[in-house]
Amino acid sequence: MKLFIKFDINTICSLYLKQNLEQNNINFTTLGFGEIEIEDNIDAEALDNLKTKLAPCGFEVVENQKSVLVQKIKDAIIELVFMDDSNNYKSSVFLAEKLNHSYGYLSNVFSEVTYSSIENFIILQKIERAKQLIIINEMSLTEIAFLLNYSSVAHLSTQFKNTTGITPSAFQRIIKKRRENLK
Amino acid sequence: MQKNALHILLADDDEDDRLFFKDAFEEIKIQTNVNFVHDGMQLMDHLMNTDNKLPDILFLDLNMPKKTGKECLIEIKKTEHLKDIIIAIYSTSSSEEDIEDTFIQGANIYIKKPSDFNTLKKIINEVVTVNWHYHTSGLNRDNFLLRLK
Amino acid sequence: MKWIPNFNSSNSLRVIFVIAVFILLFLSSIAYKHNQDLNESSKVVMHTYEINIQLERLMSAIKDAETGQRGYIITRNARFLTPYIYSRDKVNTSFITLKKLTADNPQQQENLQKLFKLITQRFVSFENCLKYSDPKTYDKRKLDNHMFGGRILMENIRFKVDEMNDIEKTFLKTRLKIYDSEISLSPLFSISLFLVALCFILLAYRQISRDFERLKVFNKRLLISSGLIAESESIGNFSTWQWDLDADKIDYSDNQYRLLGHEPNSFVPNKATLLKFVHPDDKETFASYMDGIVERKQLPFVYYKIVRPNYEVRYFKTTAKIVTDQQGSKILLGINFDITDEHLLNIELQERNKELEKSNKELASFNHVASHDLQEPLRKIQTFISRVSDADKAVMSDSAKNYISKIESSAKRMRVLIDDLLLFSRTNTTKKEFIKINLNELLDNAESELAEIIEEKKAVIKTNKLPKLSVIPYQIEQLFINLIGNSLKYSRPEIEPEISIISEKVNSSDYPEILEQSIKKFHKITFTDNGMGFDPQFKETIFILFQRLHSKTDYPGTGIGLAICKKIVENHKGHIIADSTLGKGSQFTVFLPD
Repeated sequence: MKLFIKFDINTICSLYLKQNLEQNNINFTTLGFGEIEIEDNIDAEALDNLKTKLAPCGFEVVENQKSVLVQKIKDAIIELVFMDDSNNYKSSVFLAEKLNHSYGYLSNVFSEVTYSSIENFIILQKIERAKQLIIINEMSLTEIAFLLNYSSVAHLSTQFKNTTGITPSAFQRIIKKRRENLK
Repeated sequence: MQKNALHILLADDDEDDRLFFKDAFEEIKIQTNVNFVHDGMQLMDHLMNTDNKLPDILFLDLNMPKKTGKECLIEIKKTEHLKDIIIAIYSTSSSEEDIEDTFIQGANIYIKKPSDFNTLKKIINEVVTVNWHYHTSGLNRDNFLLRLK
Repeated sequence: MKWIPNFNSSNSLRVIFVIAVFILLFLSSIAYKHNQDLNESSKVVMHTYEINIQLERLMSAIKDAETGQRGYIITRNARFLTPYIYSRDKVNTSFITLKKLTADNPQQQENLQKLFKLITQRFVSFENCLKYSDPKTYDKRKLDNHMFGGRILMENIRFKVDEMNDIEKTFLKTRLKIYDSEISLSPLFSISLFLVALCFILLAYRQISRDFERLKVFNKRLLISSGLIAESESIGNFSTWQWDLDADKIDYSDNQYRLLGHEPNSFVPNKATLLKFVHPDDKETFASYMDGIVERKQLPFVYYKIVRPNYEVRYFKTTAKIVTDQQGSKILLGINFDITDEHLLNIELQERNKELEKSNKELASFNHVASHDLQEPLRKIQTFISRVSDADKAVMSDSAKNYISKIESSAKRMRVLIDDLLLFSRTNTTKKEFIKINLNELLDNAESELAEIIEEKKAVIKTNKLPKLSVIPYQIEQLFINLIGNSLKYSRPEIEPEISIISEKVNSSDYPEILEQSIKKFHKITFTDNGMGFDPQFKETIFILFQRLHSKTDYPGTGIGLAICKKIVENHKGHIIADSTLGKGSQFTVFLPD
């Protein structure tokens, strides 16, 4: 049997974080995805304890202010890309409004920390979403192109190929065969 | 961007290639820790030895003595504690068959060995960046396929 | 079995014979009866005749007595009385005879009784006449009375005798009439019956002779066909054997002996004979084959070697089948084929195949050498050159810098050549996996592959809707890349390249010379550009490997691109043609089967 499971990584992470913090008797409020405020002052030892506990699942306490901003940018981009009406927004405007910084500033910080541009990251995320949609196999490439705000299938295909080095159909074929291979 | 250096392992029997690789990593901005093995057997020994830290990215030449890259790939994907390693095939072959075949076997990245050092640097940079995005931005690793020329 | 002629007439023959025999039996019984009847009727005649005679005798005896009495009465001579005295005995004898003769007829017995009474009365009347005629007792009136009474009695007797004779005569008549009618009827009947019987026998004879003729014909045919079989066996290098399972008798055809290296009928075969000839290597297999032969109705071919008496080894294959003949006995029919020639040919073919495989493998390993080992050092050369940094170059002499750049461009050229060669050989050797795909998608891929040069040359590519076909995707993509790339490369410097790609469906019958006629429909995809074109006399040769129309310095190329195109199209059972007007543009037409 083959099951396609759709999951929301944000919900899972928030839930996992919440459970862990509650186990450690830490009072907190969630400010946004990947951002929490601890209400009491906790000592360094307890913080370290928390860090090691979260580490195996890839959680990392971001300490640098710029890194925090980058994480916020990323979260915003993911939100934008996975929003069904993302067509209505221009990404630069969306990010600037959401994060209360000029787009130029955000762009600079992002490049400085990640060595890649916001634009590239947006493309990466869009292609990522395209990949998910291709695998679920419910939509045609035309529909996916429209949903992800591409002017044409060719545009999507070209960007897909430029980003991953392979064509959408080859990607679909490979993933399908890989799954068969695993059985 | 990262506190700890990125752990890179290259399995390649060609000494010159190992040298290019090492130089290229030294010249990019990202802090890395590059190790080398010379053939497939050595690679598997290295990975199976629990004293060694598992690499973040394994660069795998297909054409190696004793054990080919393809054999290593299949073995790694079958081994529970190794199967999540990001694998970049690093080969001279640009045959579509090899590319698709290794992707199906579970490789994430396919790099055709470039004939230009700057291209190599560019490629390594891209691999590391995309890999980092996959690590940090909630991207599904099952869908991580990247072909670089 | 069809080949056995059908002699059903033997059954009808039997029926005919039985009928004829019955008719003859019937006839003889009739003849016997006739004989009996004749006998019977002559007896009846004799009987009547005898009665008649006895009655006549009776009458004559009475008459004698009457005459004698008259003579005595007249003469009184006693001599005349003698007949009278004897007549009484004669009458009695006749009477007894008559009584015996008429014993079976009550009417006659009654008449006889009456006659006897009358005769007794007559004799009484005689006595009285004698008495009254005696002179001593003479009485004329009484004598007259008795004489007259005698006379009447005599009349009565005669009447009675006549009556009896009449009865006998009518009896005889009726009897004779009956026999007569029987006898008169039977000859016609028996003759006709006889004729019928004769007919039947003739019919049977005809049938027999006809069957005999047919038998002769079939016999002849059988002889011919068995001769032909024997002949064809020796021509076709096969033989047959029959094993009568019930009688456990084995027959070899003549050629079987020959195939085994013997003269026909030079030995008497049995169950184990064939095994004796089988090569030691195959004895076990063959023996187990023969063991299973009876249980299974039909056997597959078994392949084995035999050794002839002169130690020559021949390759055989054998099959057998159990057949049941008309008599219901089971016969195992076996056929042996001497396949030595085919076997040797096969071995030769196999060897050739192996050689081909080997050379194919060599080609594949050459590919590998080209793809890996050959480009490996080249890649190193290029990479090392790329590592010569600008800083390094600054301290070099001009000539050294020049040499470096020459090495660089030569290495680049070699790279292109190797890549193209590889591409060319790969179009032949890689897995040919056909996938149904929209060609527009492949065209998009090709365009994105060429995006840089398209942008650089500001080329415009126009296309209508391409079909969805079952193709090898990479190859068709490569075909598009090569054709479009070709147009871009040979564009006219001052004119922005325009390429139009038009697809239409055509019938193969419209292009009988170039298209595979077994495939009905083709898609004709035409690539038209406004480039520099080429001299149309080269429209065939440009597809040949390493064929170049331009010098290396003007247009770098390997002369492989269009050869690859041709190979790809051929892999798809299609066709590619080129046409051009020098200075105006070229046109490449690809036909792909629907």
